[in-house]
Amino acid sequence: MSFDERTVVMHVKRVNLRELRYWVRQGWVRPSSGVAGPVFDELDIARIRLLCDLKKDMSLPTDSLPVILSLIDRLHQTRRDLRALTEALEEQPEPVRRSVISKLRSAADRGGRVDDDPLG
Amino acid sequence: MTDDPYKVLGVAKNATQDEIKKAYRKLAKKLHPDLHPDDPGKQAEFQAVSTANDLLSDPEKRKRFDAGEIDASGQERPERRYYHQYAGQEAGRRYDPGAGMGDFEDVSDLFSDLFRHRQQGGGREYRQEFHARGNDVRYHLDVDFLEAARGTKRGVTMPDGKAIEITIPPGLKDGQTLRLRGKGAPGFGQGPAGDALVTIAVRPHPVFGRDGNDIELELPITFDEAVLGAKVEVPTISGAVSMTIPKGASSGHRLRLKGKGIKPGKGPAGDQFVRLRIVLPDKIDNEMVELATRWRDRAGFDPRKELRRKV
Repeated sequence: MSFDERTVVMHVKRVNLRELRYWVRQGWVRPSSGVAGPVFDELDIARIRLLCDLKKDMSLPTDSLPVILSLIDRLHQTRRDLRALTEALEEQPEPVRRSVISKLRSAADRGGRVDDDPLG
Repeated sequence: MTDDPYKVLGVAKNATQDEIKKAYRKLAKKLHPDLHPDDPGKQAEFQAVSTANDLLSDPEKRKRFDAGEIDASGQERPERRYYHQYAGQEAGRRYDPGAGMGDFEDVSDLFSDLFRHRQQGGGREYRQEFHARGNDVRYHLDVDFLEAARGTKRGVTMPDGKAIEITIPPGLKDGQTLRLRGKGAPGFGQGPAGDALVTIAVRPHPVFGRDGNDIELELPITFDEAVLGAKVEVPTISGAVSMTIPKGASSGHRLRLKGKGIKPGKGPAGDQFVRLRIVLPDKIDNEMVELATRWRDRAGFDPRKELRRKV
């Protein structure tokens, strides 16, 4: 599915055309360019809704948005990389998986993570 | 979880609109699903909180709820798809900020080895020296059904002033993306240029349909062609061909024109399937009426026998 600027504003009532164009100019939303202007897809729409939540529902100041967006983007990138790594690990033979898991556990223990209630 | 929107937001029944706004804001900051992508519980809570807020933040709706005219769930919107649900997929890569795990170089070289190759496709690449690959640029292009089916070359000038020459391979599907190497933004230093990623939207055709590499078409025929059989002209994506309608063809009958579908660059060509539809003229003349009456009285054919047996 693809949407032009006007359809986006129709779908997401909380944003107006001026704001949307500003967000695109800032690079917070990056639609593809079509012959007749920018073209948005579902990923872009979801991101526009997220921006509305941050800006309108949570009233975060505009100049804090790039910082938050870059943290969110980095988080998603890291999650995807982590998932790719997990998938690669899943295809390994059992002993390899076991040894990686036990290594991870002992690293977590060294980090002082406490899973059980120390008083209980 | 409670249904009472006042309890969900943790405010008193007589709270002011301002107090409601503040309470919602506090909870939204704590619970927003994009801050807790792996926690469905938080998402459910957030959903409940925003439903409650929808109701109470609107004085009109709040009045009606207090008066018992609408219930707490009466205002529920269709379930929303959150950003993280898209961003977790491969397509989300285009909002990646940069080198990702590749910059964990202090942890181990293995890590950067593992993830470096994945940056070739999208995003920027930061190296020690200041050479970096240019950004990818994304374009969207509408093409006609026949252009996509037959393949073509298109030169387009985009609003950003860039002229791009695109070779559309035969059989391209709606929503597919073509990568034009080196046609994106120029690189930094001695870095190579980025790529242009062109997403193609295929406009539907008024008569041709498509199923993979096969083409589908509905062909109207006359009553005499159905009875007697005929040789007729049929349009295909590569021009009209002549086709034989067998004697006694029925509506819905499907004929195959072998190899007349999409011819992809590699692999076998698809077929064209022609579905027959018997069409009578708008005005039925006396001769047809007589013919039909005579035939009905004599033939005693019942096309619905099978149907009745199965009901």
